[in-house]
Amino acid sequence: MRIFWILLKKELHAFFVSPVAYVVLALVMVLNGFAFRAALSVLESAPSEGSIVSWTFHAMWFWLSYFFIFPLLTMRLFAEEKKMGTLETLFTAPVRAWQVVAAKYLASVIVYCVLWLPSLINFKFAHWITAGEVELPSGAMQGAYLILVVMGMFNLAIGCFASSLTSNQIVAAILSFTMSLMHFLMGVFIMVVGSRISDTIVDIVNYFAATEHIRIFTAGLIDSRALIYYLSMSLLFLTFTHHVVEFRRWRP
Amino acid sequence: MIDVQNLTKQYAGRTAVNNISFQVEPGEIVGFLGPNGAGKSTTMRILSGYMPATSGRASVAGFDVFHQSIQVRQSVGYMPEMAPLYTDMKVKEYLRFRAELKGLSGHAMRRRVGEVMELTGVSDMRRRLIGNLSKGYRQRVALADALVHQPKLLILDEPTNGLDPVQIRHVRDLLRGLKSKHTVLLSTHILHEVEQSCDRVVMLHQGRIRANDTPQNLTRQLRSTTLLHLEVEGTGKLAEQLTALPGVRKAVEEEAKPQQPWRKFTLRVEPDHDVRDAVLELAMKQKWRIREMHRQLPTLEDVFVELSMNAGLPTDIPTHVL
Repeated sequence: MRIFWILLKKELHAFFVSPVAYVVLALVMVLNGFAFRAALSVLESAPSEGSIVSWTFHAMWFWLSYFFIFPLLTMRLFAEEKKMGTLETLFTAPVRAWQVVAAKYLASVIVYCVLWLPSLINFKFAHWITAGEVELPSGAMQGAYLILVVMGMFNLAIGCFASSLTSNQIVAAILSFTMSLMHFLMGVFIMVVGSRISDTIVDIVNYFAATEHIRIFTAGLIDSRALIYYLSMSLLFLTFTHHVVEFRRWRP
Repeated sequence: MIDVQNLTKQYAGRTAVNNISFQVEPGEIVGFLGPNGAGKSTTMRILSGYMPATSGRASVAGFDVFHQSIQVRQSVGYMPEMAPLYTDMKVKEYLRFRAELKGLSGHAMRRRVGEVMELTGVSDMRRRLIGNLSKGYRQRVALADALVHQPKLLILDEPTNGLDPVQIRHVRDLLRGLKSKHTVLLSTHILHEVEQSCDRVVMLHQGRIRANDTPQNLTRQLRSTTLLHLEVEGTGKLAEQLTALPGVRKAVEEEAKPQQPWRKFTLRVEPDHDVRDAVLELAMKQKWRIREMHRQLPTLEDVFVELSMNAGLPTDIPTHVL
């Protein structure tokens, strides 16, 4: 466990001394601002059932930021070490593969959580400046941030896996971007063709679809199925990552 | 300290290490010698617990390198080829990180990091980013990392690669100083280095051990002739008279210049013969003047080429790669 904390500290350090964390943070803040502005204009134009929280996370701007975050945060985790050869120094120190995988993953999750803090300030600020006119339903807030975190954990695990497969950061980024995009497109697919296909298929696809989860959670409904789905998938991809990293030590 | 039994490593379709066995006793400095691709790095990676062998067994400090990998890694200080380091960390920061990973902490860790920085001469660079350091300094930081947890065994893969002559001498002195506390296994393709700093040489070629002995024994065993260089002043057919001496196979005159009174000869001498006295007597009898006489003993390089030749290998390996 001690080793794990040392590695985690080092990984977090790597995020914050390199420009990566700040560039992503800036990008997310800008796109978040646009998403927030879009939600405000929806609320301005007509009375709406949805809260500002749900409109923000339905904005196209939100999804735009969503796809960029994961490749940018995870692409260097393993790929860079492979390319530089430091994986060899790392694994000839008395560390176990799971400690390395867990530390790298948790560091990316922590950075990811930090990325969403400014959006929280947006909401609080709107609430404060309008003297409570802009309502922040606590269910919607909790649901929205909960699903953001677990969806993030899932996508970051995919990113970790992608990074462990290659020594080229660009390849890792494209892999994780593609996987996150496919996951998102399932929901879009239902939105486009949902009325023309059988309800069973719609239900099945909705069970996996990120857009559907965002819709439910930002409405303040906390659905344990989605949580279990994301957390178990994260664990699955982390296990894959661990196997890829340990592959070197396999014996025929 | 190291016990390797019938170790074999195969990469997809290629055998890098082919059934090698050797032992290293505590306190020895052993040099792994061989041309590029001989299997030196592969063997070292297996011994440092980085990857498993295809077959065979190896143990370090009594621990099996595969089954007790963590204990092995705890007792080995490994410096990989090319000295890969985190370029976005500062020297002191990196060494502290590595020291913590290897189980040091608190005051002891800080003191030890200070010690190894002093020992390897990187103290002045402690606040510099590793990415901005020259190759020589990076190499030293990697060496400091290998030393930081006071391992029983040091495995250094080409520790002097990319260093200038002064730095090479510094590393060599450092290794000699470490001898009392550590066992050292180092690899190199520079023969001179092995002759200078190792107690024993393990020569690898194409994944097999070609020789395993002290540098002195290896050169002694060499069956090729010794050479005697001679610079004399005299007239007549000196070469023929010199060749007539017992023990001399052939004397050859080098680039005779008519105006120059001093003439240079190279004598090929039978092994186990010392003809220097005989040459001197001949010179006195003939009233030659001698300005230089120098016996050239065979070097490890000659041993290496000979071993390669005996194994039916191409002999035209350029000497600079050896």
